[in-house]
Amino acid sequence: MVLLAVPMVIFITLIFIWPVARFLMLSVDNSDLSNGLARTTMALDGWQAGDGVPGEPAFQALVADLAQAQRDGRDGVLAQLINQRLVGSRYLVIKTANDAALGKIAGPSVKDALLAKYPGWSNPALWAVIAANAAPYTDYYLLASLDLERDGNGAIVRIGEDRAIFLQALARTVWISFVVTLICAVIAIPLAQAIASAPPVLSKVLFAMVLFPLWTSLLIRTVIWIIVLQRNGPVNAALTTFGIVSEPLDLVYTRFSLYIAMVQVLLPMMVLSVASVMRRVPDIYMRAARSLGAPWITAWRRVQLPLIMPGILSGAAIVFVFALGYYITPALVGGPTDQMISSNIAFFTNQSLNWGMAAALSVQLLLILLVGGLLLFTARALLGRRSDA
Amino acid sequence: MNIKLGYVAAVLGASVMTSAAALAADPITVVGWGGNWDKAYKEGVWSVYTAKTGIPIALEEWGGELAKVRAQVQANNITYDVVSVESPNLEVGCAEGLFVKLSPEITGDPSKYFPGTLHECGVASDTWATILTYNGDYLKGEAPKSWADYWNVEKIPGKRGMLAQAQYTLENAMLADGVAAADVYTELRKPGGVDRAFAMLDKIKPHVVWWTSSSQALQNLASGEVVMTDQYNARITNDIVNEKKNYHIVWEAGFFYGTDMWAVVKGSAGEQAGLDLLKWFSIPENQAGFSKLYAYGTGRIEAAELVPAEWRKHLPTAPDHVKYGATYDDAFWVENKEALEARFKAWLAK
Repeated sequence: MVLLAVPMVIFITLIFIWPVARFLMLSVDNSDLSNGLARTTMALDGWQAGDGVPGEPAFQALVADLAQAQRDGRDGVLAQLINQRLVGSRYLVIKTANDAALGKIAGPSVKDALLAKYPGWSNPALWAVIAANAAPYTDYYLLASLDLERDGNGAIVRIGEDRAIFLQALARTVWISFVVTLICAVIAIPLAQAIASAPPVLSKVLFAMVLFPLWTSLLIRTVIWIIVLQRNGPVNAALTTFGIVSEPLDLVYTRFSLYIAMVQVLLPMMVLSVASVMRRVPDIYMRAARSLGAPWITAWRRVQLPLIMPGILSGAAIVFVFALGYYITPALVGGPTDQMISSNIAFFTNQSLNWGMAAALSVQLLLILLVGGLLLFTARALLGRRSDA
Repeated sequence: MNIKLGYVAAVLGASVMTSAAALAADPITVVGWGGNWDKAYKEGVWSVYTAKTGIPIALEEWGGELAKVRAQVQANNITYDVVSVESPNLEVGCAEGLFVKLSPEITGDPSKYFPGTLHECGVASDTWATILTYNGDYLKGEAPKSWADYWNVEKIPGKRGMLAQAQYTLENAMLADGVAAADVYTELRKPGGVDRAFAMLDKIKPHVVWWTSSSQALQNLASGEVVMTDQYNARITNDIVNEKKNYHIVWEAGFFYGTDMWAVVKGSAGEQAGLDLLKWFSIPENQAGFSKLYAYGTGRIEAAELVPAEWRKHLPTAPDHVKYGATYDDAFWVENKEALEARFKAWLAK
């Protein structure tokens, strides 16, 4: 029987586990830099940023490395990687590589020739970036994804406040996902109860209403909220017409509109999950509890709720996991302070081409999933023990 | 069942026929800035080329991210043939070897171009300006006359639209701080100059609705979500002239203009076809087709003269406008763009 699962295991390994692992490896891979600048890093062995601009051998090695990279068509990649670590150095590296390949940087002293043409190389921080990349593996991206970096002496320090963005994005992502899950649960449980206890026809209608949004494109559902919530949209029109507010409220491009849009999209998952469990719970338990004298709310809380808890937990898990990965919705209806980790991953993948950083942030997302999964597993185990007892 | 099969056969037959026709000439993938910009290029320029040569043009839209070209070149999976790219990015991409160098045989006589519209790797696709505009339907109080008015939320209440990036936005912040357009880059290059621009942005931040694509900005302006916004001039002119919108361009507030350049991606399947296209495009009559439909300037001087005078007055380079403007400083952005965008991104998320 186990053999029947073999094709599935191979399939998953080939199309999921292997590519994801390959991608995550990018978060520590440093072979492009360590190979491309091998001569320079060797010449810089023993040099430290505190020593100031390195000597002639390092300059000769650099010009040789960059000339080689230019001829191999790898100079763009090197410039890209150095630029990621010291923003603003891309153009300098590219121009130097072009001139180096043409033999334009020569003279009795390569150091003097290069510094005369490109004074940017007198910056020890730039040399420190090169010196720090002698090894084929790096912790640079993983540290950066936690707003950390190594200082000139190799010690791990917090990066400057004006550059730190990832920790707050991480906290925000977990918080938004948590709140969305909570709101979904609060709305879905009564709704599922209504669906389960309504007469068959009404139950089907309610169910269809829950399912209907699932068949609409995510993009449309999101954009509609912009129209509904904008300053001159129907919600603000109603609020001002009835005199509830005097000035239209800023509803769209806020955390509020983000929650609304996300809850609307994810709510059906929670309702389906809870309702499917609720349908399997016979109503005789509630009736028994009521006939023994428990008020409805007590009966529901102590009898019905534990019975439907597995549905709530799996619904919560689905909603939370989906919410963690959101980025189109925050980009469209959220403001600048509502963007989540995935928007950074998308930025580094599509726009700045920093795949090491994208991979490091993906590691973060996977770790949150892992922790979330463990919590859920524990909750279910505890629940199972209680219902056994 | 038979009917269904017959239908399937007919559809298959039709698709075989269309793909046979398409095989006649591979389309050139041309990447522009979307919306009415692409529409004007399609109607005024590309359709003429296709009619003449039979070579179809496949249009794609982007936001000018050079990294997309980089990614395609590094992965050796190039899908873009010809792209319109902002001139500072053309400079960087050209040095990196992403774009094909153009010979004078393709571009024609360099002396026939406006300054800054010809580069060893590209020819101008359009000269555009970022201007201050407001929606007359939602304006309360007096109309803005300067960028200082734009910053003044007591005088003119309502949200402002603003481009969510450092480039083009820091310049406006300096204008609002009272710097003349011609002096903005001198001030930005001074120690603390960039800090001064960010300090101005701090003041306006709570009143801004950020945009990343023109269509977002225009949607917000049309719906009254913002009362005024920064925007590329032709998008607004298009809405005023063709859609009869109550928008107003405040040229006298000061503005900057820049140039987008057509460049051919090195190593793309359509590299040669792209070069042929640019050679054809470099003829004044051919490139004027775009500016006749869209209020952006041309590269070739003779092409500008082919645009009717009635339409030319909408261009940033019209005598009534250009006296308030200055050109974007490519050298400043080539050197500082990545560092300033990183700082801006962190600032925005706070």
